[in-house]
This record gives sequence, C-alpha cells and structure tokens, in this order.
Amino acid sequence: MITTIIDWIDERTKIRSIWDLITNRPIPGGASWFYVLGSTLLFIFILQILSGICLALYYVPTPDHAYASVKYIQNEAFFGSLVRGMHHWGASFMMVLIALHMLRVFVFGSYKKPRELVWLLGIGLIGIVFGFAFTGYLLPWDQKAYWATVVGTNVAGTVPVVGGLLVKIMRGGAELGNLTLSRFHAIHTYILPGVLALLAGMHIFLLELAGAGGRWNPARNTPDRTEPLFPHQIFRDSIVILIVFVAIAALAVVLPAGLEPQADPTDTTYNPRPEWYFYFVFQLLRVFEGRFEVIGTFVLPTIAGLLLMLLPFLDRNPERAPSKRTMLMAIAAVTGAGVMGLTIMGSMAPVPSVTAPSVLAGRLLYEKNGCGACHSIHAKGGTIGPELTHVGSKRDRDWLTRHFKDPQALSPGSIMPKVTLPENDVQELTDYMQSLK
Amino acid sequence: MSTNEVSRRSFMVRTIIAIFAFIGASLAVMLGGFGIIPALKKREPGWSDAGTVAELVAGQPQERRFSELVKSGWQSEKQERTIWIVKKPDNSVVAYSSSCTHLGCGYRWIAGQQRFACPCHGSLFDINGAVLAGPAPRPLDTLPTRVENNRLLVQYEVFQLGSTAKVRV
Repeated sequence: MITTIIDWIDERTKIRSIWDLITNRPIPGGASWFYVLGSTLLFIFILQILSGICLALYYVPTPDHAYASVKYIQNEAFFGSLVRGMHHWGASFMMVLIALHMLRVFVFGSYKKPRELVWLLGIGLIGIVFGFAFTGYLLPWDQKAYWATVVGTNVAGTVPVVGGLLVKIMRGGAELGNLTLSRFHAIHTYILPGVLALLAGMHIFLLELAGAGGRWNPARNTPDRTEPLFPHQIFRDSIVILIVFVAIAALAVVLPAGLEPQADPTDTTYNPRPEWYFYFVFQLLRVFEGRFEVIGTFVLPTIAGLLLMLLPFLDRNPERAPSKRTMLMAIAAVTGAGVMGLTIMGSMAPVPSVTAPSVLAGRLLYEKNGCGACHSIHAKGGTIGPELTHVGSKRDRDWLTRHFKDPQALSPGSIMPKVTLPENDVQELTDYMQSLK
Repeated sequence: MSTNEVSRRSFMVRTIIAIFAFIGASLAVMLGGFGIIPALKKREPGWSDAGTVAELVAGQPQERRFSELVKSGWQSEKQERTIWIVKKPDNSVVAYSSSCTHLGCGYRWIAGQQRFACPCHGSLFDINGAVLAGPAPRPLDTLPTRVENNRLLVQYEVFQLGSTAKVRV
C-alpha cells in the first residue's frame, strides 16, 4: 500500500532519486560520533520552532498582557510548564552545541578550502542564534526580561558614533516599552526563524557542494573507508538527538523555566543578571569600566567576530592535523578558557548592596539638617542624643515617623526638637533610619 | 555486502526509526496536549446579577442585559450578556438563553402574537420556550436562576446549537 503510494509520487517527482542522493551522501573516512553536532543542532532548531509555535497559541506580545499570558502558560495551561521549559532549555542546549560544533570544525581544520563559505555561514548562524536569545529574553516581560533588555540595549549604545541611533532603532523609541516588545517579538518569531532556516539550508547545501571534510589525516579518507550518510551517520546522530531530547524534556520538568515578578521599571532594588550564555559579556563589562567600557562592549566582540569570520582566509595552510597546528590550538585553548573563565566569574559576581534613592535622600537630609550635631552613626557625630548606628533594628517605621513629628510624645523629657520638614522628607529620613541596622 | 553488514545495517535503520517514532510521538502528545486540552475545558459559569424581579409582570417577557465576569485563558474580562426572563403565573422566574437553538441568532418577543420569533430561519417559540414552528431542534435553553433580595441571579451558560439534546459547552 505505502509502496504503491510512494511509487505514484515517485513517478511524478523522482523523489526516490532525491532520497538516494541524500542518504547515499558519502562520509569520507566513515561515520563518526564527532559529526553528530550539526544534525543535533538542526533537530533543536526544529524543536524550538515547534515549541515556539505552540507558545504563540497563548502568548500575547503587549506589556499589558505578556506577563499574564506567560504566567497562564507556566501555571495553568496543560503541559504549559513543560513546553515553555523545553523552549527555554532548548535555547541553552543550542548555545552549548553550537560552541562544540564550532570547536569540532576548528580542531578538525574542516573550515579550510574548499569549505570557507560553509564556515562563514556558520559564523552568521551563531550571530542569528544570539539574536534569538537576546530577543526571546524580553518576551515574558518579567523583571529579568525587562532589566536584561535595558542593559542589553544600552550596551549597544556604547558603540562609537552610531550607538545612540542603534539603541533607538532596537527599542523602537527612546525608552524601552510596548514598541520594544512588539519589535522584539516580530524579530524573534517572524524574521529570525526565516533567516536561520535560509542560512542553515545554505550551510548544509554548500557543504554538500564542497564535500564533507572527513578526517584531518587525508590517509584515512580513502574510498574503502567511506560510509553513506544513511544509516551509518544518521544512526549516530539519532542516538545523540535522543539523548539531547530526553535531557531537554527532563530539565524542563525538574528545573522549569523561571518567571520573576512582572517587569517594574521603577524598581531600584532589582539586581539584573543575564542568562548564563551572556555571562562572559556581562563579566567583560565589569573588567572594562569607565572610558574603557567600549573595549568590552564593542572592540573585543567585533575583533573576535572578525577573526572568526576571517579564519579560513588567514589560515590558508592546507595542513589539518591539530598536532601540526599547535599555535592555533593554543590560541583557541586560551580563548576558550577565557570565555569559560569569564562565564564562571560572571556567574559568581557578587550582588552589590543596593541603596534605594529614598535612603540616599534621607542621608542627605540628615547631614543638611545637622542631625549629626547631637547623634552619632558609626562613631561619627555628637553624643547629646542617642546613638543611631543600629536604630533601624530597634525602632519600626511607624515609631520613627511619629517620633520625628513629636519626639516628646514618645520619649517624655527628650530635648530633641520637632522635625518640621515636609512629609516626603520625613519619610525619606525614616527610610534612612530604617536602613541603619 | 556480508550478512553481518546487512544485519548491522538493518539494526541501525530500525533504531533510527524507533528513535524518531518515539520523539515524534512524545512531541505529538506534549504539543498536541498543550494546544488542544485547554480548548476543551468547560466554561465555569458564575452567578451574575440580572437586575430586579420587582417590576416583572407575568406573561410579559423582558430582555435583560448584564455583564458577566468571564475568565478566558489568562484574562478575566466583563462580557455583555443578553437573556430573556419570563415570570410564570406561579410567580417563579425562568431565564432563557438569548440564542435560538437552531443556529444561534438572537430571537425577539412579538407581544401581539405572544410568541418568540427568530429572524434568521423563522423558528417560533411560545412563552414557555416550546417550539411552535421552524427548524429549531429543541425548546429555548433555560438557565439556572435564583432570587436573592429581589434580585435575579443567573448562571449564564452556553449550549451546543443545532442538536435535540441540550449540552453545555
């Protein structure tokens, strides 16, 4: 029955010859576990497309509703946490596998003639994947999403000359808001999937035209060792794809994608942290401060990107064995260790103690009004009034506010004058007192 | 090809098919469930205030509009609803869904003829909701009601249309 249907289609489309062409594609030197990464990435991309389309069944890309719709997906929709978790973990797996894939191609010297264009497209694909990560991030409209995007778009603002323009184009306006969300959503769901599919298709097609590189030792790429793509290579691909699929699903169940409180642009106590795959950029910004910041945000990433792109043109030595390319291997090892080191440092970066603006304002009022003439904080100030170093843990907010307004009512016999400042100032002074613990 | 090579090959082909069948089936269950199951969830009707019953006159149906708080996925919103209410001779109050049981058009009360008439395909119902003429397959759909402090509380519900049985959706 099935054969009859396929025969019917084959008569009209020659589909069998196309299938044979793909499946019989020769793998020089034979199938290898090293070659599974590209297909696994293709699988994850399909997984991201499918789970992404499903998320779009419920997701709404407006600041009014984005958070509520993601919360609905996460907490109420059937399998919602699982589907969102798989989309989330799929992204992380893509980052890891893309790094491994690039490393594999680099070590095997597979980027060399005649596969330079395949390599170039690969670098483009990495850029697209980072674009996905950056735009996808904002969509839940929670605190992490909002603040990471505030910082992320501001990073683009440090680019010399066109920075300001770039930020506005990325945000769709001067400030991050509904227009930003709309365009991030459009880029994430309409533009990038198409571009990625196109580039990935060309990546695979050009590899087909140029021919796979096989082993780095040409002596091992002899015809008698050659194996067909199907089933020999696809078998290995499938095993790894299965492992990755189960791992993504398991992680989605065990560690569901997080959802922080809804984005609050007025919150000054939030400590923004990027997703782990952006930690190395995050850490670079901590290393390069002030006027050197642009080195971390723009100069180094641009140089790294250009070097990666130009690699097949800078390194035209046909030798592929890593043992004979020690210099390059050393550079790669140092770079890899650097990125990993920055990632680890970024993950351990201490959270700075946050001073809310009202506490700062209260401290200024304390100094301006000469409170220190009678009171002391951390052994600085007068001794007529009580010491205030730990007053925040002794008195509550209500007591402090009432005491400012009428000290004698709460502390009979006190010689402290009434604080006749405006209500807002009294509140700020109270905030400052409360921060002293 | 040696027999060994043939069996090795067929093992690989079977494994590949098994793996992708497993992944395909898992994805179909997960993504299909995610897309379909929430759509099958029944409406959860709550009680809405449909106004006072004081001015109702027996034998004179009244159209009532009220807003119902409806939870739709991630959003709770007020939806305008229309019902017909009829005071029976024994002073009990009946509420009818405003959708004709044929295909859902809004019907109206023709006081002169003492009947409800649907403008779409001409179904006619008497004041008790019974079908007098036309393609309507079942009487007008009654809604659960209760009276509290002279206010009529209605549980707005939606039913499958075009069938003889009254099935809540």
